[in-house]
Amino acid sequence: MSADPLETAGTAEAEDARPRQRFVLDDTGFDEVPPKYRRFYRKWRGADDSLALNEVICPVCSVVIRSTRELRPGDRVYCMPCMSRLVVVRVESGRLEAHVTY
Amino acid sequence: MTSPGRSQEPHRLEPEEFFEEVHSFEFWFQAVTGYLTGRPYGHRPETAAPAADPRERERLLTVLSSYCVGETAALEGASGLVAIAPNRQAKIFLSTQAVDEGRHLEVLLHRMRELGCARPEEEVERRASQTLFTFKRRLLDLVASRDWEAAIFAQNVILEAMEFVVFQTHARQADPVTREVLEGIVRDERRHIGFGENELGRRLREAPHARARLAQVRRELDPLVLASFEETLAEVGTPRAERPELGRNYLAAVARLGFT
Repeated sequence: MSADPLETAGTAEAEDARPRQRFVLDDTGFDEVPPKYRRFYRKWRGADDSLALNEVICPVCSVVIRSTRELRPGDRVYCMPCMSRLVVVRVESGRLEAHVTY
Repeated sequence: MTSPGRSQEPHRLEPEEFFEEVHSFEFWFQAVTGYLTGRPYGHRPETAAPAADPRERERLLTVLSSYCVGETAALEGASGLVAIAPNRQAKIFLSTQAVDEGRHLEVLLHRMRELGCARPEEEVERRASQTLFTFKRRLLDLVASRDWEAAIFAQNVILEAMEFVVFQTHARQADPVTREVLEGIVRDERRHIGFGENELGRRLREAPHARARLAQVRRELDPLVLASFEETLAEVGTPRAERPELGRNYLAAVARLGFT
């Protein structure tokens, strides 16, 4: 592996120089990927649910993708349950979204 | 730098490492073990469903019959696509999809038997949506003609996206046993729709001229899928007003691929 993509996401770092928050991920019972990856995903619980700073929703399969670090625009994340490669973007409303990268 | 092996954060993988991992048989095996262990024929042995009234039972058998046709189409389609898949990763992934589809067909037929249907395969022939039979024939024509992009589009985008939405919707309203069976299938479908969209997205980026041909396939197959979507949701009892909302997932997927 050449470099840590979370460390070298230039766009994100340029947008905000604050250190990123770190998160300890717990197992939420998500069982659709091998055990070592399970804490990086959880199910979206519907209208009463909300996303933390380290979470985005996969637009392909609607699973919540989680990182150990606060997510910022330009970050790359993967949805293992549906095998999608995504990039984090900030949309007009100010919210962070994940967009598919083919 | 922390190696992915130590941190296990999947987002640190390089794209090539990620695709190698998620398309592998090992990944599939560990994933399905998580949610299928202890669920013979797709549900926990202790899960019980109250006896359905005769009319509800008939409607459920009709819906399950249509599901069986969709799963048979995907089973035969995925099996045939292994031979024309463009690389090893796609071949191995499709071999796991073929196993998934075979399991889906088996658990659905088993559920029909649990509902008292002695010869489920005869019932499937008699009850299933005719538009799905037509879709199946057309899908297998595309596979037989070795048209990789069109067949993946028909199977893993159009058919799987419809099944994903219908099964999720039906599971919310179903008896406890049928719900567990459908929820297990939906977990598999996530991989199938993701593979289809990502594979096609990459192919269209490299060969944009294929877009016009796929748009033609979509014009031909969309009405068949949407008709069976309507039939099934009506049988399941989903209010008409909610159905356009349910089709949004499929429309969002084709929009991401550039089909509007």
